Amino acid sequence: MSTLRMHSVTKLYRSQEADVPALREFSGEFQPGEFVALVGRSGCGKTTLLNLAGAMDFPTTGEVWIAGQHTSKLDDVGLTQLRRTQVGFIFQFFQLLPTLSVVENVELPLLLSGAAKARERALAQLDWVEMLPYAHRMTHQLSGGQMQRVAIARALVHRPQLLLADEPIGNLDTTTGNLVLQLLRRAADEQGATVLMATHSQESTAHVDTVIHLRDGQVEGISRPVCPA
Amino acid sequence: MSRLILFHRLILRPLLAQPSRALLTLVAVALGVAVVIAIDLAGFAAAGSFRSSMESLSGKAQWEIVGTGGIPEATLGKLATLPENASFEPRMEEFVTDEASGATATLIGLDLVANPRRSTVTKDSGSIDQLDDLRAAYVTPAFGRKVGDLLPVIVQDRQETLKVAGIFQLDSDTSSQDRLIVVDIPVAQELTGRVGRLDRIEVSVPSFSQASDAGAALAEQELLRVIEGELPAGTQVRPFGARTDANRRMLEAFRWNLRVLSGVALVVGAFLIYNTISVSVVRRRGEIGVLRALGVTRAGAQAIFLLEAATFGAIGGFIGSWLGYGMAHVAVQLLAATVSSLYVTSSPGEVLLSSGYLLVGVLLGCAVATVAALAPAREAGSIAPVEAMARGGRDYAVRVHTGRSAIWACLLLIVGAGLCYLPPIQGTPVFGYVATLLLILGTALLAPAVLTLAHRLTEKRVQHVLGVEALLAARNIFGSLRRSTVLVAALATAVAMMASVGIMVGSFRQTVLVWMDNQIQADLYIRAAAPAEPGVNPPIDPEVAARIRTLPMVAEIDRLRTYPLMLHGKPTTFSYADAAVMERRGRVSFLPGQNRESILEQMARGAYVVVSEPFSQKHGVSVGSRMELPLPDGDFPVTVIGVFNDYASERGTIYGDERVFAKHFTRENITGIAVYLKDGVDIEEGRLAVQQATANRRVMISTNRSLRESAIRIFDQTFAITWALEGVAIFVAVLGMAGALLAMVMDRRRELSMLRFLGASQRQIQGLLYWEAALLGMLSNLLGLALGLALSLVLIYVINRQSFGWTFQFHWPGSLLLAAISLIYVCTLAAAWFPARAATRLNPIEVIHEE
Repeated sequence: MSTLRMHSVTKLYRSQEADVPALREFSGEFQPGEFVALVGRSGCGKTTLLNLAGAMDFPTTGEVWIAGQHTSKLDDVGLTQLRRTQVGFIFQFFQLLPTLSVVENVELPLLLSGAAKARERALAQLDWVEMLPYAHRMTHQLSGGQMQRVAIARALVHRPQLLLADEPIGNLDTTTGNLVLQLLRRAADEQGATVLMATHSQESTAHVDTVIHLRDGQVEGISRPVCPA
Repeated sequence: MSRLILFHRLILRPLLAQPSRALLTLVAVALGVAVVIAIDLAGFAAAGSFRSSMESLSGKAQWEIVGTGGIPEATLGKLATLPENASFEPRMEEFVTDEASGATATLIGLDLVANPRRSTVTKDSGSIDQLDDLRAAYVTPAFGRKVGDLLPVIVQDRQETLKVAGIFQLDSDTSSQDRLIVVDIPVAQELTGRVGRLDRIEVSVPSFSQASDAGAALAEQELLRVIEGELPAGTQVRPFGARTDANRRMLEAFRWNLRVLSGVALVVGAFLIYNTISVSVVRRRGEIGVLRALGVTRAGAQAIFLLEAATFGAIGGFIGSWLGYGMAHVAVQLLAATVSSLYVTSSPGEVLLSSGYLLVGVLLGCAVATVAALAPAREAGSIAPVEAMARGGRDYAVRVHTGRSAIWACLLLIVGAGLCYLPPIQGTPVFGYVATLLLILGTALLAPAVLTLAHRLTEKRVQHVLGVEALLAARNIFGSLRRSTVLVAALATAVAMMASVGIMVGSFRQTVLVWMDNQIQADLYIRAAAPAEPGVNPPIDPEVAARIRTLPMVAEIDRLRTYPLMLHGKPTTFSYADAAVMERRGRVSFLPGQNRESILEQMARGAYVVVSEPFSQKHGVSVGSRMELPLPDGDFPVTVIGVFNDYASERGTIYGDERVFAKHFTRENITGIAVYLKDGVDIEEGRLAVQQATANRRVMISTNRSLRESAIRIFDQTFAITWALEGVAIFVAVLGMAGALLAMVMDRRRELSMLRFLGASQRQIQGLLYWEAALLGMLSNLLGLALGLALSLVLIYVINRQSFGWTFQFHWPGSLLLAAISLIYVCTLAAAWFPARAATRLNPIEVIHEE
């Protein structure tokens, strides 16, 4: 069964003058372990697609299934439950909570869902991103790359089937960015997560299985780069 | 013009962009100002009218001649024959009840034949022929009578019927509601039972009223000497209006206490302004950076925030003044009752909001808001442009110097505690008020340390015990320490004032209950039905007392004879009764260390008196002190042999034994009769018997129980205004909580939205807000209770003792405090409802992608 299925999805944003289409007639099916890059310029619909894929928003028309669940048919409680169990998010600016320590940030999704052994699992996930020595530091004591690794650990700690990354290396230098991309690759390979990454960097597509080129809310083309490794 | 444009763009527009927060802050400032204005307006109205009733129709006299128990009428004749250029106007005064309306009226006796102000009273009726009528009275329009009507009034313990001879209007100084009855001197003497005596003689010397040089002063001294030479023993000349001035000074102390209490809401409002501007500085940090880069100076950046605060202050002050005007109409009724029972018989005057008061309200709002905004504005000025515009600026947390604050806090608390040992200044506990303020400020400065300590003690347990929402809430509170501490300080101040006043009033009430158990021992109490002056009831005919004594069911009676007198320039009361009855019936309790039996035994053996605690405080006398009492037959030296507890009068009372003092008074002024029934007699039967025996008199008969109930009812009524003030302060603080939580939602909307991405449900987001309110409320209540306990000690042992001279036993009104704290806690939680709702309405996608 595919992790994510989107069928003829259109998203319109209503403004005073006219409806502005952010995404038009997008269809796609993404499998476990697949690492997909959404590439395009600013405003091409990448983030809109990620929000729809993560059940944070509803399509104007079309349908979205996450782990077999039709998102439009779920209420807020159902959607929250779906995000808690099946979806992980990573953002350009990390979005770590400054009042929590590193490990507290990572265990937060588990605490919100009431999962058992939260601290143990959070430490294990930090170990996976090689941030265990920093577990008890506050987030403002970390570098940008370290923060993003913590954010990845947080996004994966509850073992989601779908990992959505919105410009995850947009705020990092090339070397650090590559480390982050490798971690996302490992998430797909080792944890079997479907990774959808929005990026405007062509270089970052070297690590992915599939590249979807978007322009003005529509698919301009799909390519499958050869992995340099 | 460009300044106006900048004011609009940089100050007004950001305010209007967040209408709910702006509104909450405005309401807080407005309420703070409103309470202060309301108390002052109401205090003025309640106190102001007494001047008009007692001083009505007084001339511009320089002196007045008075005497304990009155002045022999013959004195006037002697004075009139003096060759000096002075006029002497006799005057009688008595409070009576208008039978038709039940309202208190002032009966004034003037020499309507010779008095120069006669025309004010009699002009409408022209002729003075009517003065031949022994019941002719001139009345103000408030009675609603016309010439020729009969006017039944209760004078002392009798009903009398006067005949309206004319209606007169007073000058603009007096309220249209004032009920004045003017009669000729002989009529007044006959009505009051003081035939042959005058209450006062006003002395006017026209030439002295204009002259001020040394020669005039010498002549004045000479005239005084001549007048004093003509006066009989027991009378004295004093500056005109001395009694009124003394009353006014006492009333002023009472009003100051209320003013200080009303200021609490304003202080709480100031905390909230500080909070609002601090939040504004943090939120607009990036904007400040841009403005600085565009050429705005450091002072300019500060001015933005000071003007923002001043705008809140001015608008809030304006609204608050009008709101206060409305509130004053309610407050004046409560205040008037207290003023009448404690200070002077009066009816409340009109509440007037002048443009001056309106200006004061606006300036008060502006001043408090601007001062509160000084620190955050200074911080805004210190922001470097590059630092402010850098990313991550929004995560900037204002540094809190917890250690430094704690040191300052300790200093203020120590100084505050030290000030409590200093004496009052002219009867006003100025140092007590300053100590209160320092304790509040000290506690506010201690708040960061308390929050830090609470955080350290609980950080490892919060999540396990209370859950993830509580963990996030606790971290948010500690993460924005400055905002949290301001909020905790504001709410703690309100809670503290409520708790301290609760403890003070509770202690006072409990002490009064215990005191009443000692004091009110008789089965029945009788007093004349006419209105009482504070401290002195109108007299009862001695024949009534004799008649009651002969009733077969009566074991014994105790007659209290009371005379108002001025001692050391302060009004007080002298009473005498049978000390033997006091000893047998246990009426008086003395301060610790004084032997009641031996004191009361000694009282009958010579020139000894006992004084009430307020008297002892106000006049600086104690056991062993000697003083001269101005009795009708001259000054009489006495020795104080005891100080007793008394909560009935603030002005103080002196007690003597009837065997020693009765002979000094020509008129037996029985102001109260205590009746002790024989064992086994039913109280209701006794009451009916006394009622029958006094059927031809207008007296009020109270049973032991009903007297206690009415005393405690008056007590509770007196403090109703205090509770109302505390309620407003709490309300302002709760509004502040709502505003601060709303600010928190706006400032942390990115984090709250992030939580939604991480799988937090709406209920969990709401839970976070409720937990934040719950934790802040809990800390505030704990800190407030601790501060409240300290403030209650200052109130009980410093402010109250120095203001009124009363000492009461500390009593912890546990259930009352628990109920109040619980109510505040529920209100605090309820304050989170709107912010919690706002938090769930955030659109996480929009917020997160604002980046």
